[in-house]
Amino acid sequence: MKLSFELNGEAISLEDVPGEQSLLELLRDRLGLLGTKEGCGVGECGACSVLLDGKVVNSCLTAAWQVAGRKVTTIEGMARGDELHPLQEAFVEAGAVQCGFCTPGMVMAASDLLSHHPDPGDEQIKQSLAGNLCRCTGYHDIVRAVRKAARQLREEGS
Amino acid sequence: MSRYLKAGSMDEALEVLAEGGARVLAGGTDLMIHLRRAKQEGGELPEVLLDVSGLDELRGLELEAERPYLGAALTFRSLHESPQVRKRLGALSQAAGQVGSVQVRTTGTIGGNAANASPAADGVSALVALGATAVLASPRGRRRLSLDELITGPYRTGLAGDELILGFELDPPPDGAGQVFFKVGRRSAVSVARLNLAACLDRELSDPRVVLGSCFPTPRRLAAVEELLTGATPGEALWRQAGELAAQQFQEASGDRPSAVYKVPAIRRMTARALAAAWAELGGEA
Repeated sequence: MKLSFELNGEAISLEDVPGEQSLLELLRDRLGLLGTKEGCGVGECGACSVLLDGKVVNSCLTAAWQVAGRKVTTIEGMARGDELHPLQEAFVEAGAVQCGFCTPGMVMAASDLLSHHPDPGDEQIKQSLAGNLCRCTGYHDIVRAVRKAARQLREEGS
Repeated sequence: MSRYLKAGSMDEALEVLAEGGARVLAGGTDLMIHLRRAKQEGGELPEVLLDVSGLDELRGLELEAERPYLGAALTFRSLHESPQVRKRLGALSQAAGQVGSVQVRTTGTIGGNAANASPAADGVSALVALGATAVLASPRGRRRLSLDELITGPYRTGLAGDELILGFELDPPPDGAGQVFFKVGRRSAVSVARLNLAACLDRELSDPRVVLGSCFPTPRRLAAVEELLTGATPGEALWRQAGELAAQQFQEASGDRPSAVYKVPAIRRMTARALAAAWAELGGEA
């Protein structure tokens, strides 16, 4: 049986995907999409966050087959052509990236937040990123980046 | 290698379970950790991963009925975001919002939380407080189990190998009762509860409920505390007394565990605080 789903806007279909394979393993090892990181592998760090039908999940805790017929968005699918997504841009501008390992997961979690709550308060931002650990920045600039991106996206929308 | 199978109907799901060798997959947030460990340690993988998340019967949410019903495959995120659940099942709504992280809540399910049977399961403490009975199905038919019968010990259940949790029938406290869920962990998010507590109070204190999780082998109602509260005069003194008694119950049940040094005072104060909060929800004086 073939596993078919939409990955970053493109339909794909794969043979021989073992049932126990995680979505994270599928993305990194099979498809070579290395933007999604493995930190803890047990759902505590959020480095492997991706969007499944627009909602953030830990790809390490998701079986690859669970995405059959659904839409998966990874960090590779965020940029708009040659331009970074406003969230990515804001992370760069706010200095919210240090080693960068947690950044893709942070961006995906923030993307879920902003698509459901365009004008979040700081507390809401922090809660939405509570499942994403950063060991470098102390979070302050990450929250600032999300706030900045929210503003940018609202301006685009208006 | 495991074979993934998405159940298209209840009959199909039960048939596959009856054949043996299948593990039920709902959200996967606990199961995937087990599979990862099995892969790393060369342990045995289940023959079949049976995905039941698409079955309609497991996704129902009926709150208007006399016995409200929650489908087992409802995610914590959907429970937390539902205004109906917030209004009628406040303790569950709050518990659902404190499970893991957004990522875990997006896929993790209430039925999976019960089937995994962790003593620290946040969702289970809320279910116990709401008087939940699990509805199970197997090729032999259906049966109902109280949560005590369903969850028999840490990570142990009374589920037969071919049984599936369909959902939970609830016997919640009277409409409008104050309901709260409190949790203490090592950090404020993504933590396994060191202690969790669900409490419900109605204005007459006719049907008070207090459940402690992470303290006993399974989350459990504190009968003695509920008895103390029933029909008593509400107020700070009563809440404190209840906290005292809750801590005592824990000590009697668990003896001098190393964690008691921390848990006893925590239970005492958290119980009193939770009851005050539940009463405040009713608009009562603290």
